[in-house]
Amino acid sequence: MDMNEKPKVEEKVENTEETKPELPETKEGRLVKEILGEAPYAEGNVRRERRVEFKVPPERIREFLETAQKKFEMLIQITVVDWLKEGEFEVIYQLWSVSESVHAAVRTRIPREDPRLPTVMDIWPVAETYEREGHEFFGVMYEGNPRLGPFILEPREYEKHPFRKDFNMLGYVKGIYGEDFDRYDESKTNYVI
Amino acid sequence: MSEKKNDDFISYELQEFKLFEPLFRWARKKSLWIVAFCTGCGGIEMPPLATARYDFERFGIMPNPAPRMGDLFLITGYVTPKTLKRIIITYELMQDPKYIMIHGSCPINGGVYWDSYNVVKQFDKYLPVDVAIAGCMPRAEAVMDGIMEIMRKIEDGTADSWKRYRENYEYYRKNQDELFGEGWREKEARRWLAWI
Repeated sequence: MDMNEKPKVEEKVENTEETKPELPETKEGRLVKEILGEAPYAEGNVRRERRVEFKVPPERIREFLETAQKKFEMLIQITVVDWLKEGEFEVIYQLWSVSESVHAAVRTRIPREDPRLPTVMDIWPVAETYEREGHEFFGVMYEGNPRLGPFILEPREYEKHPFRKDFNMLGYVKGIYGEDFDRYDESKTNYVI
Repeated sequence: MSEKKNDDFISYELQEFKLFEPLFRWARKKSLWIVAFCTGCGGIEMPPLATARYDFERFGIMPNPAPRMGDLFLITGYVTPKTLKRIIITYELMQDPKYIMIHGSCPINGGVYWDSYNVVKQFDKYLPVDVAIAGCMPRAEAVMDGIMEIMRKIEDGTADSWKRYRENYEYYRKNQDELFGEGWREKEARRWLAWI
């Protein structure tokens, strides 16, 4: 694929409505049922033993995480996935329940243009670092986090948000480090090294 | 040893000291103190080298935390621009004569990080290098071989990277400034060397 080519936004395929599978009668199933009882706007399912998953609309993510915090005491990580074709960022909050030994992935999707989410620093203070990282590599704005800004990378890379899928990596590398060592062309037709 | 040319190796205040130059070289070769600045994956290759099996202390090599006392700077893996700033400033803190050995293919040409935006591709554009060991990662035997090579080079006076750095300072400075921007040295050094 040409690196410079603009991403084509494909039309979403309508999912046929399926009947929801029943939650299993395990501790994971009971946990999901309990949380969904308090937060009916979310979707939840059990992936396997000790793994559960929630899908939450972005405007209610803070509310949901406040609810989930009663069961899931620990925030392990906040990761961001760039879905270029859909034009969306998927933000995944990974939670760990110390009392129940269950790992939860709370997924939410926000638009790629002007991505904004409320901070969860006051729920889990450790979120500050993960939010700074997500902001630096993807440009997600976590509103309320006071320390967003250049973090790990050089300032010039911070401006480009290098983990975004439309970041032209090879062109950038050639510009910074010179063309002394040949690499792929940007069009990936000319194979070198 | 006596017929080797050693006039231009180091300038002494007392010319009589030139007489002892072979002795000094032998001493320098047998007491390489390394600056423990481990970048990348080569850092964990050093413990096998230091412990019973390969035991580099029999050659007088000692890990040493202070750059002011170091002779040999080991670059043990990929170098990011942020690390390179620290490496350059640490290298300039070291006393002459000083030697650089680079491990693995990443500092040579980028290695597996050849298309990464955050790994320096050619280390010797920014600092001079005495010995480069290819491999990903080189085995401990290869690193020992590199150390023997640098000892050989010190003995016959060809380990002259610190001299090249002085002579071609403009070239290296230009490349560093191209990568980091003008005035990076003062800005960065002030952040972690409080006395500057």
